[in-house]
Order: sequence, then C-alpha cells, then structure tokens
Amino acid sequence: MFNRSGRAGNYAYAVSRVKAKKALLLKDEDYNKMLLMSVPEISRYISESGYQKEMTDLAGRLEGMDLVEHATYTNMAKVFSSILQASQGELKGMVQAYLEKWDIWNLKVILRGKSYGLDPEGIREDLVPAGSLDSESLEKLLSLDSVEDIIANYDKMEHITIPQDVISTYKSTGNLGEIEDYLDKAHYVRLVKSINPTSRPTRMFQDYVRTEIDIKNLETILKLKAEGIHGEVVMKYIIPGGRQIDTRYATQLANAETIAAASSDLSRLEFYDSIKGLVESDKVSIREVVTEMKKYEIAAANKFSHMYPLSVVPIIDYMIHKEIEVSNIRTISRGVESGLDADTIKGLLVIRWRSQ
Amino acid sequence: MAAHDVTPNRSVLLDLKKRIKLSQGGYKILKMKRDGLIIEFFEVLEKARKMREGVSSDYESAMEKITIARAVEGEIAVKSAAYALKADPQVKLGSKSIMGMMVPKVEAERIHTSMLDKGYGVISTSAYIEEAAAAFEKLLDTLVRAAEVETTMKKLLDEIEKTKRRVNALEFKIIPELKESERFVKFRLEEMDRENTTRLKHLKGKGEVEE
Repeated sequence: MFNRSGRAGNYAYAVSRVKAKKALLLKDEDYNKMLLMSVPEISRYISESGYQKEMTDLAGRLEGMDLVEHATYTNMAKVFSSILQASQGELKGMVQAYLEKWDIWNLKVILRGKSYGLDPEGIREDLVPAGSLDSESLEKLLSLDSVEDIIANYDKMEHITIPQDVISTYKSTGNLGEIEDYLDKAHYVRLVKSINPTSRPTRMFQDYVRTEIDIKNLETILKLKAEGIHGEVVMKYIIPGGRQIDTRYATQLANAETIAAASSDLSRLEFYDSIKGLVESDKVSIREVVTEMKKYEIAAANKFSHMYPLSVVPIIDYMIHKEIEVSNIRTISRGVESGLDADTIKGLLVIRWRSQ
Repeated sequence: MAAHDVTPNRSVLLDLKKRIKLSQGGYKILKMKRDGLIIEFFEVLEKARKMREGVSSDYESAMEKITIARAVEGEIAVKSAAYALKADPQVKLGSKSIMGMMVPKVEAERIHTSMLDKGYGVISTSAYIEEAAAAFEKLLDTLVRAAEVETTMKKLLDEIEKTKRRVNALEFKIIPELKESERFVKFRLEEMDRENTTRLKHLKGKGEVEE
C-alpha cells in the first residue's frame, strides 16, 4: 500500500497549507494559562483557539472532560485527513504510512470492543479517523461481528496480511496481544520502507522514524525487564529497523537480567544523557524514562523542522506538534479535573522544546 | 430458676452441687477464652490498622496513577486497554480456627497477570497504563488480605461479645442462682432434719410416758 511513488510530491502546496495551520497551534504560554483554569474555562479557551466547530458539534451529547477529549481528537482527525487529501505523489505515500498508526489504533479499539462485547455505538464513540481509513471503512469494520472477519476486511483495506499463526494464537487463547504487536511492528517496517532516503530531508525523516523505533524498542525492553522477562521472549517484541538499536544490540540489552544490569550497555545510545539519572537509580520508573525519551524525540523533530522548508519534514513536524497539542490539552484538562497539582501536570506535558 | 422453685431433697442438692461445679468450671474456661480472644483481637486489630493504612496508601497511589494514565494517554486508550483484558483475578477461600472459632482464610491466587497475558499488545501499550494496572493489582492484593483480617476482626468481636455475655450470665445470674438454690435446699434439709429430730424426741418422750 505504501509503495514509493514515482511521482514527486506537491510539497509547495502541502507545506503552505501546513504552515497556515501551524500558526494556529497553541503556544507554551497558552498551556501556562490553561494550567490556571477550570475545565469549563479550558473548554471555552480551546473553542476560541481552533476547536470551536468540534466543541459545538459534540456539546449536545458530551460534556466536561469527555467533550474536550473527543473534540480535540475529532479536530486532529479532520486536520490530518485534510493534509492527506492535499498531498500527492511520494509525499502522500509517506504521510499515509505515517498516519497508518491511527488506522491501527482504530482497529485495536474495534477488536477490543468487539471481544469485550460492546455494541457498535459504544465503540464508534472512541474511534479517531485520523488515518487513511475513512468513516465508511470504519463503519464497515464496525458492522462485522467476529474478530476474524474484521481482520480479513482490514487486511483487504490496508493491503496487509496478518500471518495465520498469529490469528491461530488469538483463536486458541482469545488474547489480542499477538495481533496488536504484529500490526505495530508491521506499521514501522512499512513506514521505514515508504521513505526513499535519497534526499537529505527524507533521510532525516527516516532517521526520525528509526529513532522512534529505538525508543519504542527500549521502552519494550524496560517494560518486560520490569516484569522479569528477558532473553528470547523480549526479542519477539523488538521492531526491526532501529537507528541505534540493531538486532545484536537489542539481544544484548534483552539478555541483561535487570534494568540495572542493562544500564551500562545503554550508555552507547545518543539519548542516554536524557535518561541516565533515571536508569541508574535503584528504582527505575519506566514512566519517567518514557517521558524523557519522548521529550528527546520531540527535540530531535524540532531540530530538523526548519531545515528543508519544501519537503516532507515541515509536514511531519506539524503533525507531531498537532498530536502533542491534543495530548497537552487533554493532560491539562484531565489533570485539572482530577486535582493534580500544577507541577505534576507540567511534568507530564511535552512543551520544553517547542518551536513555533 | 427461682431458688424456691426447687424441691428440697438430697438428690436435688447433689444435682445442684454438680451443676454449680460445672458452671464454675465453664465460667473459668469461658473467662480464659474471653481473655484469649481479647489478646488475639488486639493482635488482629494492629494488623488491621496496618492493613487499612496499606489499603489507603495503595488506593491513593493507584488513583494517582490511573489519573495520570487517563491524562497522558486519554480516557479512550485506558478504556480500550481495559476492554482487552482477558485475565480475571482469582482468590481461594478457606477457613482456619482461632480458639475454636472458624474464621475465613482468603488467599490471592492470581492477582498479578503477566504483561504477555493481559490481552493487549506489549509494544504500543503505554508505560503509564501498565503502571496504573500494576498499582491496581497491588491494591487488589492488599484488599484481599485486608478482607481476611477485617472479617477475622469482626468475627472475633462477635465472639468476644458472645463469650462476655456467657461469662456475665454465669457470673451474675446462673452461678448465684444455683448457689441460692443450694443454700435454700441445704437450709430446708437442715430444717427438715431438725423437724425430724424434734419429732423423734417427741415420739421418744411419748413412748417413755406410756411405759
């Protein structure tokens, strides 16, 4: 599906559209203001900052925090869909491959909801059609009853083949984990393949994706290690194609019995300085390590965002920042609603390296 | 039983003596049981106090983690992960005896589920959701243990109350009444003895006069 297109992308048009949208993104000082507001005030504030239509549309059936969360997701889905529609040629291929994660997200939501026994109404509310699957395709998946049928239809829509042994494992255990992990791995493999690294900006984009793979892999290794799982089992969940963590290095990290034992091996990583203090402490908080790695990833994206104005880079940079904006609004609103103190909420936000 | 309701004869007196001895023995044993239960209760109370603190701190930690997970990952992601869960916690119920009283024994058989068996993917499920899940598993484990201690404590309290009522009944009602009955029967028997002696003396005097 994400084969490299022979046609050049319409970079000038797509980038100019994205630049106009980027100017509307919330700035760091907006988040500081929002930290001092209540949820209704935040709702009003974001309504005045580009989320008006979605807030009004959903206000009839949702309220409070749910309204904020669904409205921001809906807005993001619309924005991403418009970028995808405005892109052509190789650019479209890359954007589509990048947004495939939202198709996978939706598929997971449907599969989990169906296996739990939810009705389509309940599942529909939680879908975020920000990928290449439009509402019609998602409706089709929702209308199907069995997990096998949903997967078979998704395979056709996204031109992906989930191996029979993965489906057999699901059938025998009822555990969706294997299917989900296969889809996540396939997404990154397809994304890396969709980028033609012949030009400097696409190489930078590919490097960014491969760094994201490294971060995902390290997170997986740490999560499993915290559960006392190491060795071969860990390697099953490693996504191929990382920039710094190749199979050999991943095996080395996976074989260390504890996080402490792996910490010396981690020093080879570029982002080691960001997580050094955390992985060397007695009690490693994976959540904090993940937050720091996420901040590193965003910083890396910011570094290249201004370098090649007529390339895929500003478009991806915008999509990353849009996702962060949605996540930050949600974090602040939910944090304020739950009574978390401002410092805790600030620690959860990804705004440190924001560039406008 | 009113003291005057008994028939004053020797067999009743013997029976009363036997009953007083039995009641005093029972009183002594029940008093010891009550004291033992109180000692046991204070030990369980201390455990329950610590357990309540544990439940309270685990609950706070779990709620904080789920709040953070909901804030960072969103309600939809947290809800979706919850729908994928396949493993149910398992507890084993048994019983044990404390001074003859049966109390429940609850053992958490399978509270913690490995990340690989949870029902959702390992790669994309965030560390925030995992931390929240682990915190709730810990809370559930503490709650199961707290349920055992709390139930034991409540059963101990009921048993202490029951034993205390029995001890008090024996001490202030049954034994005093039995003693009163014994005193009454003894008095009546002595009275009857004296009447007999007087009657015999009277008959003896009558006989001597007739001779």
